[in-house]
Amino acid sequence: MPAAIEVTDLGVQFRRNRRGRRSFKDLFAGASRRSRPGQFWALRNVSFTVQPGESIGVVGRNGQGKSTLLRLVAGVLLPDEGSVAVRGGVAPLIELTGGFVGDLTVRENVRLTAGLHGMPKAEITRRYEDMIAFAELEDFQDTPYKHLSNGMKVRLAFSVVSQLDEPILLVDEVLAVGDKAFREKCYARIDELLAEGRTLFFVSHNERDLRRFCKRGLYLDKGALMLDAGIDDVLDRYNADHG
Amino acid sequence: MSHAAVGAPGTPRRYLHSLWLLSARDLKVRYSTSFLGYLWSVLDPLVMSAIYWFVFTQIFHRSAGEEPYIVFLISALLPWVWFNSSVSDFTKAFKKDSRLVRSTNIPRSIWVNRTVLSKGMEFLFSLPVLVLFAVFSPGTQVGWGILWFPVAVVLQVILLVGLGLLVAPLCALYTDLERTTGLILRALFYGTPIIYSVSNIPAPFETVMSFNPLAGIFTLYRMAFFPDQWHTNTVLIGAVMSVLIFALGVWVFRTLERPVLKEL
Repeated sequence: MPAAIEVTDLGVQFRRNRRGRRSFKDLFAGASRRSRPGQFWALRNVSFTVQPGESIGVVGRNGQGKSTLLRLVAGVLLPDEGSVAVRGGVAPLIELTGGFVGDLTVRENVRLTAGLHGMPKAEITRRYEDMIAFAELEDFQDTPYKHLSNGMKVRLAFSVVSQLDEPILLVDEVLAVGDKAFREKCYARIDELLAEGRTLFFVSHNERDLRRFCKRGLYLDKGALMLDAGIDDVLDRYNADHG
Repeated sequence: MSHAAVGAPGTPRRYLHSLWLLSARDLKVRYSTSFLGYLWSVLDPLVMSAIYWFVFTQIFHRSAGEEPYIVFLISALLPWVWFNSSVSDFTKAFKKDSRLVRSTNIPRSIWVNRTVLSKGMEFLFSLPVLVLFAVFSPGTQVGWGILWFPVAVVLQVILLVGLGLLVAPLCALYTDLERTTGLILRALFYGTPIIYSVSNIPAPFETVMSFNPLAGIFTLYRMAFFPDQWHTNTVLIGAVMSVLIFALGVWVFRTLERPVLKEL
C-alpha cells in the first residue's frame, strides 16, 4: 500500500529575530547560496513514512518543531529542503481558531470551511445539523464567530473539521481547551475516525491522550528527529531527557 | 471515501470552487453588512465623476477630453475604481486572511485572484450607471467599438492578476510598501488618461505614457462611444505590458511564496 505521508530529509529555516534585515538579493537567491547569521533550522534532516491508518503522536518540548512539522504536513508551510508528500487531503485542526473568519456567522463559517475543503454544497447541507449539534451551538447559528467564547470556537472547529472526509487528520493541542464533557465527545469521535481507518497525526503534551490514541511516536528535539518508535518507548525517552 | 468531493485537491475544478466561495463571501460581506450595500460600488465613481465634471466643465474651460464629457469620464472611472480598489486590497491580501492562509491548504494565488474576481463583479454591477448616462446624455453615439469592451476587460484581468501576484507577497514581507502603493496609485490616477484622453498628451510624453498599460486598456473601453480616439501604438504597448507584468508576477510569486508563508 502506498504511504499516506512520506517525509524526506525535511528542513525548514526561520529568522531568529524580526529585525534581521532581509535584502532583495537574499529573497531571490537560491537556498544554497544563502548562509546568513540570524537564521536557524526549525527542522532539519527529518525523514519518516506513515502508512494509511497509522496514528502518530508527536512529542517534544515547546519550540522544538512540533507545530512546524504539522504545518508542513498540512501544506501551509513550504520546506526549504527535502520534501513532504501527502496522499489524499488533510483535515487540519491546527491552531485554536483554524480557518474561521470572525465577521461571518457560525452558519456561514461552517459552509465556507467545509466548502474550502471540497465538500459539495448538498453534502454540507446534509451534515450541517450534525455539525451544529455536535458543537452544541444550536442557539448560536447566526452569531458572528468572533462573539463566541473560546470553548465554543474549539467545539465548532473540531466538529466541522472532524466531519471532513479527508483521510488524514492533524490535531495540534486544541483539545486541551474544551471542558471535560466535550473532550470525552472528541475522544469518542477520534476513536470512531481511527476505526474507519483514518490516519492521525497528533501533537500533545498530555501523556494520557498520546498513549490512548497513538501507537507510534516521533520525538523531536532541537529540530531533529531523535526517536521514531512505539509511543511508549518515545514517551519513556522523553521523560528520561526532560523529567 | 464514501462520496466525491468537488474535484481532488490541486485540480482546476477545486480551484474554481474555492475561488468562487471566497469571492462570494467578499460580496456577501460587502452587500449585507452595510446599510447602503449596492450603492457603495456605484457611489464612489459617481461622486468622482460629479466632481471632475463640475471642475472641468463649469469652472475651468477644459480643452481635454471629448463630448459628452460625463460619459467620457465615467467610461474610464468605472474601470479605474476596479483597478484602484483591487490594488489597494492586494497590499493586505495575505494579512487580512492570515488565519485561513495559515491553516487551510489552498493554492496561495487564490488570495490574489479572488480580489480581482470580487472587485470585477462589482465593476460589472456598476456598469448600468454608464448605460444610464450614455442614454440620457445628448450627443452620445454608440458604435461597433463596443465589441472592444470585453477585450478591455480581459486585458485588465491579466494586468490585475499580474500586479496582484507581484504586490501581494512583497507587501506581506515589507510593510513600507503598503503605503508606497497608495502613493503610486494616487499619482497613477493623473498619469492615466481618465480625465483626459491619449490624444491630449503632448508629443514626448505620449510615448512614455503609453507604457502605462492602463492607457491602452482605457482606450479600448472608450471605443464604444469615442471611436476616433483609437491609438494603435498605445493599445499594442498596453497589451504587451499587461502580459509582461503578468509573467513577472507569476515569477515573483513563485519565488516569494515560501518566505511569505513563514512570515504570517
